[in-house]
Amino acid sequence: MEETSDRLNPGITPEFDPKTMRSTKPGLKRLFITTSVLFSFLLGVPFLWKSVEIYRSPLPFHDIDSLSDQIESTPLRFPCNFHAVFVGFPSTDPDNLRSQIQDGINQLTHQNSQCGSCNFSLSVTVQNRDDQCSETLAHSSTTCSYRCGVIKRNVFGVGVDDTVDESLNDVFSGCSEESGKVYSVVVVNKENANGGDEVKAVVGKRRHAWIVGNGLEERYGDMVARVSEIFVKVFMTGGRDEDSIQGEFMPVGSDGRIVLSFSLLNSNPRDWVYDWDFQRIDEALLAPVTKALAPIANISVESQVLYHTPKSSFSSWDKKLQSYIFRTSDLPFFVNSNEWHLDTSAGASGRSKILQFVVYIPSGKECPLLLQLPNGEISKTNGFISPMWGGVIVWNPGNCDKDSESPSRNTISPQDLEQIVEIFLGQFRQLFGFKSEAIYTSGLGTYKILPSERGFTEWELDVLSRKHTCFNLHSCSTTLGSLSRLVRSLPRMIIKDEIGEQVKYSLKAAKLAQSNASLGGYSSSASSSREARSLAENAFFHPSIMSVSYFSYEHCFAVYSPFFLPVAGHVVLAALREWRRYKQEKAKYLTWLTRKKTA
Amino acid sequence: MKILLILGLLLCYSFVSSSGDTTIHTNNWAVLVCTSRFWFNYRHMANTLSLYRTVKRLGIPDERIILMLADDMACNARNEYPAQVFNNENHKLNLYGDNVEVDYRGYEVTVENFLRVLTGRHENAVPRSKRLLSDEGSHILLYMTGHGGDEFLKFQDAEELQSHDLADAVKQMKEKRRFKELMIMVDTCQAATLFNQLQSPGVLAIGSSLKGENSYSHHLDSDIGVSVVDRFTYYTLAFFERLNIYDNASLNSLFRSYDPRLLMSTAYYRTDLYQPHLVEVPVTNFFGSVMETIHTNSAYKAFSSKISNSKSNPEMPLNQLSEHDANIPNDELKNEKQKCPYSQMRADLHKKLEKLENVDTVVNLSIAVMVVVVMVSSSLLR
Repeated sequence: MEETSDRLNPGITPEFDPKTMRSTKPGLKRLFITTSVLFSFLLGVPFLWKSVEIYRSPLPFHDIDSLSDQIESTPLRFPCNFHAVFVGFPSTDPDNLRSQIQDGINQLTHQNSQCGSCNFSLSVTVQNRDDQCSETLAHSSTTCSYRCGVIKRNVFGVGVDDTVDESLNDVFSGCSEESGKVYSVVVVNKENANGGDEVKAVVGKRRHAWIVGNGLEERYGDMVARVSEIFVKVFMTGGRDEDSIQGEFMPVGSDGRIVLSFSLLNSNPRDWVYDWDFQRIDEALLAPVTKALAPIANISVESQVLYHTPKSSFSSWDKKLQSYIFRTSDLPFFVNSNEWHLDTSAGASGRSKILQFVVYIPSGKECPLLLQLPNGEISKTNGFISPMWGGVIVWNPGNCDKDSESPSRNTISPQDLEQIVEIFLGQFRQLFGFKSEAIYTSGLGTYKILPSERGFTEWELDVLSRKHTCFNLHSCSTTLGSLSRLVRSLPRMIIKDEIGEQVKYSLKAAKLAQSNASLGGYSSSASSSREARSLAENAFFHPSIMSVSYFSYEHCFAVYSPFFLPVAGHVVLAALREWRRYKQEKAKYLTWLTRKKTA
Repeated sequence: MKILLILGLLLCYSFVSSSGDTTIHTNNWAVLVCTSRFWFNYRHMANTLSLYRTVKRLGIPDERIILMLADDMACNARNEYPAQVFNNENHKLNLYGDNVEVDYRGYEVTVENFLRVLTGRHENAVPRSKRLLSDEGSHILLYMTGHGGDEFLKFQDAEELQSHDLADAVKQMKEKRRFKELMIMVDTCQAATLFNQLQSPGVLAIGSSLKGENSYSHHLDSDIGVSVVDRFTYYTLAFFERLNIYDNASLNSLFRSYDPRLLMSTAYYRTDLYQPHLVEVPVTNFFGSVMETIHTNSAYKAFSSKISNSKSNPEMPLNQLSEHDANIPNDELKNEKQKCPYSQMRADLHKKLEKLENVDTVVNLSIAVMVVVVMVSSSLLR
């Protein structure tokens, strides 16, 4: 074949084969065009990536995890200072007394360190009959020390308990604001020869209690036991039996607010209609309570009067008591939710807790209506609560005789209103887990507990602050933990800046609460823990965190691929094809060059 | 006395221990969802309304029921009985009678709103009546009816709720402790597949049919022209009509009452995530409402002790305030007189009018005077 081509075309080189050789260098134009198109596509990929990137505010996952670890592992304990003063005892060694009391306290607390319990430090002062004192050396030197001889033995037993309380308050009021509050118990030994043998123990409205008796120097063991009992059972746990942080006695909404909704229900206004001057109750009696609970919850009060609200359970006539009786077994069915339109609050936002307090006035057909307890007794309060819902008080009108004319319109008298408010306060305390009896009985004796006009005594407020701080911090850490797990499980969900900020502030408030707690500021730690919890809940329940709105990676791919894949496929294929062609032509040229050289 | 105390304590303890959890059962909630619209899906709305009526009758109040309906049956142009919805061809019971409070109606029944209700993530402006405000002691009944299929439920002919979305929402609810126990009841075709992906503890689920089976309607009402109730719901209601608020029939008896031959499908229930035994759980734990009540033993004598102690100062706080108050209104009136004579004049006029005994004659007289004045003035002007 070669020879024939030689004879036909003598001008061309003998071995030229157009299939495997070419004479000119292959041009780069085609390759350049296709690769430039491919390159511009590749240039655009980062812009595309940036445009489909979702904005996620960076959440401090590490801090959240460390907070929850911290709260789980080390339960929060508050510093408390206990101070025992023995007045009128002959010179005894205070250190011996101190160790005895400490043993007693440790025995009662069983060394359990639950969240909210006290890390206590104890000091004892003994003042003998000549008003000379000997004190134990306290570990932490407090700037306030008991001035010897201030407490006189003759103050006790003469005045009424309230005046004794006030005078003791003057003595002990300087001692606070150091590391935790100081709780004091004064044991007074009187020497009346004609006095009886009884021992009176009273717990005051602030942070002190006293025990008065005769001939106590022979009964040291008893006194030590009673002092330890007051410290543990009253001041540390507040007279409550259960120790755990149960959620059902913490009726504070997750935004730190409680709305108290008072309703006066006239069951049958055709018989009688009652009204009340709620403004007065609010200003005079409820305002102090609201202010006292300010660190724990932001409380607002509203009221309404409703008519035509019968109850849905039945009552039976009892001839002996001459009244209508309903039993504790009827209580779960008492509230007639179909006709009692209680939840009409306009002021409560979505996450506040509403507590309903209902004063029910029975109709003429069921008057008077009394509650009978399972043991046959008649209830003194005629009321009951439902945890986390509120309470109901049944109030019977003074006389149950109906006027045959038009229904009488009456207003509840101020004395009756006060009684109702007292029962309401009992129910309100019950919703927080406190009992309201005036006498606390234990194995060693009885203690009289003085009530306070603010609804809660100061030591009860301390117990509440400690418990609520624990609960709020626990709730805050679990909420933030759930949020971080949720956010990490949905990688394509938008996290707004707002959520990131709320998480940051919540963590800051939680740390502040923990540091306040270690310094002993009970109410400040309660309010910062409340803020931490409310911010964490706001972040978790932010309306933009809806998993159904955000696409997974596969979905994103499925949305964008019909736009880009066909074109990109063609461009890439074209570039590849040109590249292969260029290589082939280059190879052809090279073989021709080598042929030429060899020829 | 002591024996009663011990018995009481034992009862409380047994109640607490039988719940299997440390929280007490505080209240019951019901979320009733009808996911269909259009006239031929009449029976789904009738299903939901029948269950709403049952749950209300057994004690759950409106404030704890979230009712989601398309609500286009009662006032539909094709409804022979306007404003009435029946679930039986004997028309004995009007489900739409009185006191029906629909929380999400019409086009608000969407998958997004449903999931927002369950997880609690609403906008700030959403009112309390549209929120599920349950706490960690609540028992929630979730009832859904409509058209469904394998692992999905059709919402209003436009969207779908998938079984993994539902499982995810329940998981988030459990993490945030929004319920103590949850009962899911689904009446659609292939209902049991909807809760395949559930994994949270404390959930009990029952569906009207298994995978591959259809759920059928019970009967056709020739008067209205469409089927009025589904079989599963019909037999559920037949069970509940025999109960009242005081009964304690168990969940086991409810589940055993479903006969596959009458239902023409297998009612399948799933108890692996639910700890308590079905025989011991009364139906009122979910379908009714029993409040947990504690008697108030004593009042807090904050004020009476003050009164008895301070005899020299007998004024009670309320009386003190009343004296203080008495001074204020007079001052306010005086200020008002100085401020606004016009409103004072109006107030005086109002008082005078109130004192009049027969207002009608005054009005008639004044109308007559007006007529006379008009006639006189028009004659003068001419």
